[in-house]
Amino acid sequence: MANLNLTLKVWRQENAQAQGRIETYKATNIPDDASFLEMLDIVNEGLVHEGKEPIHFDHDCREGICGMCSLTINGVPHGGKHVTTCQLHMRQFKDGDTIWIEPFRAAAFPLLRDLVVDRTALDNIIAAGGFVDVRTGSAPNANNMPVRKKTADAAFDAAACIGCGACVASCKNSSAMLFTSAKAAHLNLLPQGQPEKNKRVLAMVRQMDAMGFGNCTNQYECEAACPKGISVDNIAKLNRDYMIACAAEAVGVFS
Amino acid sequence: MNDIKFPVSDYMPSSCIPDGPIEQKWTKYKREAKLINPNNRRKYTVLIVGTGLAGGSAAATLAELGYNVKCFCYQDSPRRAHSIAAQGGVNAAHNYQNDGDSVYRLFYDTVKGGDFRAREANVYRLAEVSCNIINQCVAQGVPFGREYGGLLDNRSFGGSQLKRTFYSRGQTGQQLLLGCYQAMEKEIGKGHIEMYPRTEMMDLVVVDGHAKGIVVRDMVTGEIKSYAGDTVLLATGGYGRVFFLSTNAMGCNVGAACACWKKGAYFANPCFTQIHPTCIPVKGDYQSKLTLMSESLRNDGRIWVPKSREVAAKIRKGEMKPSDVAESERDYYLERKYPSFGNLAPRDISSRAAKEACDDERGVAATGRGVFLDFKDAIERMGKEWIDGQYGNLFEMYEEITDVDPHEQPMMIYPASHYTMGGLWVDYNLMSSIPGLHVLGEANFSDHGANRLGASALMQGLSDGYFVISSTLPTYLTTQKPGSITTAAPEFKEAEDAVKARIQKMMDVKGTKTPDEIHRELGKLIWEDVGMGRTKESLLHAISKIPAIREDFWNNVKVVGSTEGMNQELEKAWRVAAFLDFADLLCYDALNREESCGAHFRLEHQMADGEAKRDDENFAYVACWEYKGPGELPVLHKENLTFENVHLAIRSYK
Amino acid sequence: MNDIITTACKFVTSSIGRKILVALTGSCLLLFLVGHLAGNMTIYGGCAGCGGTSWIDYYATGLHSMPAWLLWAIRLGLLAVALIHIVLTLVLKYENYNARTHYQKEGTLKATLSSRTMVLTGVMILCFLAFHLWQLTFNGDPANCYDHIKAAFTNPWCSAFYIVAICCLFMHVRHGVQSVLQTFGLATRKVRPLYNIIAVLFGIVVCGAFISIPVAFLTGLLH
Repeated sequence: MANLNLTLKVWRQENAQAQGRIETYKATNIPDDASFLEMLDIVNEGLVHEGKEPIHFDHDCREGICGMCSLTINGVPHGGKHVTTCQLHMRQFKDGDTIWIEPFRAAAFPLLRDLVVDRTALDNIIAAGGFVDVRTGSAPNANNMPVRKKTADAAFDAAACIGCGACVASCKNSSAMLFTSAKAAHLNLLPQGQPEKNKRVLAMVRQMDAMGFGNCTNQYECEAACPKGISVDNIAKLNRDYMIACAAEAVGVFS
Repeated sequence: MNDIKFPVSDYMPSSCIPDGPIEQKWTKYKREAKLINPNNRRKYTVLIVGTGLAGGSAAATLAELGYNVKCFCYQDSPRRAHSIAAQGGVNAAHNYQNDGDSVYRLFYDTVKGGDFRAREANVYRLAEVSCNIINQCVAQGVPFGREYGGLLDNRSFGGSQLKRTFYSRGQTGQQLLLGCYQAMEKEIGKGHIEMYPRTEMMDLVVVDGHAKGIVVRDMVTGEIKSYAGDTVLLATGGYGRVFFLSTNAMGCNVGAACACWKKGAYFANPCFTQIHPTCIPVKGDYQSKLTLMSESLRNDGRIWVPKSREVAAKIRKGEMKPSDVAESERDYYLERKYPSFGNLAPRDISSRAAKEACDDERGVAATGRGVFLDFKDAIERMGKEWIDGQYGNLFEMYEEITDVDPHEQPMMIYPASHYTMGGLWVDYNLMSSIPGLHVLGEANFSDHGANRLGASALMQGLSDGYFVISSTLPTYLTTQKPGSITTAAPEFKEAEDAVKARIQKMMDVKGTKTPDEIHRELGKLIWEDVGMGRTKESLLHAISKIPAIREDFWNNVKVVGSTEGMNQELEKAWRVAAFLDFADLLCYDALNREESCGAHFRLEHQMADGEAKRDDENFAYVACWEYKGPGELPVLHKENLTFENVHLAIRSYK
Repeated sequence: MNDIITTACKFVTSSIGRKILVALTGSCLLLFLVGHLAGNMTIYGGCAGCGGTSWIDYYATGLHSMPAWLLWAIRLGLLAVALIHIVLTLVLKYENYNARTHYQKEGTLKATLSSRTMVLTGVMILCFLAFHLWQLTFNGDPANCYDHIKAAFTNPWCSAFYIVAICCLFMHVRHGVQSVLQTFGLATRKVRPLYNIIAVLFGIVVCGAFISIPVAFLTGLLH
């Protein structure tokens, strides 16, 4: 185990209205076994002892599943190692490195403080149609509806999205297509999701557009930045499903 | 300090268990329960705190039924609650495997697994609705693991000889929570739920003895606000972070539950804290949390330590690779001690066995606190590909954290605080001793007794939220005039002022220690003295030390920033203060319970072979603690447990 | 009928709908490119000045002897397609610009240079197109097409401009071809690498063939 000395360039902004700026901090004696957030904890503890306000950042489970941690590290959300920031370990860095730490940036993610942004826009997309409308208690026996294993696995792959928003933050256009398409694909693949498929696709895409996200230009930054390996195949599928849903809506079939 | 004499009260509220044979109690309850006309439901406002499996499923279900739901969580989205981190699975008595499962057997296993300290009627109801949970989740689109025929697959889990656990790879909690989050979002979209993310509950408002509202802090603006409702549902999870290092999320805290306790809700069995056997060992002082490796790994991994201390020492120093240790030099201690359950022995037993091995100086990991979980044989038997299909994400996660490939070298694991069986006392209606305050999921005490079996937490959270509360809530609500209390009641202003004063007091200390430093100090003490093995001495030691740490907090804490706007230091300080208020209670309960049962192991009370020695004569009760003010001993109320259906027996997993 | 119009309106104002229209028009332009190239290749069929018959002169006069209405219908059709392609792209670009807040330190993992310079290369192609139409479509006698081209490409500045412009076209097409397939929902993880190869190959063949003409004149292969 070695210890690292790093220079941090961190975005600081007191609140949504304030003018933000990059500030420079020294992170000394950071164990390389520490996670990225533990490194920030150490820096923050130092700041508090100096009477300064600590760097605010979102985090919760610290095991890579809740999707609350964010941070754009050296221009790449989560640092681009296919893990969330909380699972990024300092052994990925070298002694003497300068690390840029910025919030997840997108107009649809208003900044709240320092590195904390508001990702409610993603919840709004789910609220528009990212569900199967079944009432509690009305479900039939679980084994009444066989699902091909391959289908179930594909649905799971899409459902593994943690909703962190790295896809939006990494996209050159701040598009939420990967997020939206993953949830739509999860439900559209399964037999349970069929009755509402067209309705879901239209509602989710329209909500996504209304939230002020950009448009997908098939650059696949999202897939590369996604800590959960969500595939852009989902985007292709959403494009397909959207065309079908629009056609169905226009001519009044299954809509 | 000498022995402590706890004040005991003869009064105990009724647990409201319907009479009749156990398998008919829930049916009978539902048949006779009060109903509320669909048109009247919207007149009732239900405040739900927490959006994990229990809170989220309750919010979705009650909103579907037509209640006016307001829901609060401290995270930025309801989808992030810590239920999401549950890996292994969810139990149900479907018997799809044809291996002899039934509602009764699930009930029996859960009561036995809980070492006969759970309430029979609640557990039976849990087992009864378990199948509905799976049906509901599948209908929502939860992608459970399936077989090639298209039907659902099952795996077996710690403490069970059946395959009754439904799973979604190693992310079952995530998929179940997303299912319930989606159901919630559906109702949010329809305007039936008002969602308040980044909002932390600070206090409960009790009006004329009934829970009628909450005081919250808006974590973005810093504003202290109140909300009034006809009932409050608390689903705020457990208090495992009292140990500082735990598998809980960083934000998990006892604040809301502790506030309710102080307002008169009984806290039941706080000493039942589960230590999970398969976590990644501690690395250093800077560590913020411990990561769980799913218990399902024990299906195929074999747990061992070297037979000799010399070999263990060499491994610790890095002079020898674990894979080079000869078979004859390995002690597969769980298989040796518990031949019929082997590596699948219940959590408390596995955890303690690991501690014993490490206490015997045969532990591995640099700190000497670790044992091996080895997949060598499973990989040889089933192939690497099959193993990756089962545990791929867990292997990756392990490698990411430790930089060791578990295909090549065994994993290192060690027990860590994981789940808390204790919680606010509730009756059969899930209502606490404060009328109107309902408690769901991990935050209540009811179903797991002294130890929770694997894959039962998800089951309980969802059972409470989807199926129980919807039937039991009208029992209370029909006694209330809807909307009778508003935030204009003076109790709201009082509670708000008290919260503001407490915050100001913290801010004004301007000391030298960060909230984390004090939390770490508390956690270390609790882990050492109230962890896996407890003695009267260690508990008295902890009880004597806690007030000093608490004093240190109120004299020495340094909370930078202001009360306005976002202030994460203030959030931490508030939570640490609650843990400090709660810590004595944990120790008191552990001290009072002069027996070993389940996860509560008192070294004074063990069999000759080191097994837990229960004292059914004197301790077959739920210890319910009533708050009496700062510095006062809490009063003990006892709910006696009767076992009419499960024969009280020594829990043996040999 | 109303439903159809409402849906159509929603389609052309949605992010995916407009992407699909950009892809559709882009595909038309790709087809035009292939057709145009096929015509251009007739330049290698000999010339009047070097003793044989000039195929490209036949081709050019052939095009011009089409009925005027048909010729103009095709031209206007192409113009409309190009306009839709350009206008929608600019609108999308404007929205994308507004959807973004910028990083102090930018990082890129996977986005190709061609995908990030689509607007730039598109504008270059547009400028080139204007020049190209002025120089070779609306000036000169189709019967002397070969000589006209020869005059243009023996000027090294003009040739260089053509070569640079076609390189931009290569960049544009390299992203465009695989992007069209993704937008139409025809891509999966398994075929996407193949699409990338197809896009590059398509670009190399088409653009290479276009560039070969000025190169051939400059090197004296054609004279």
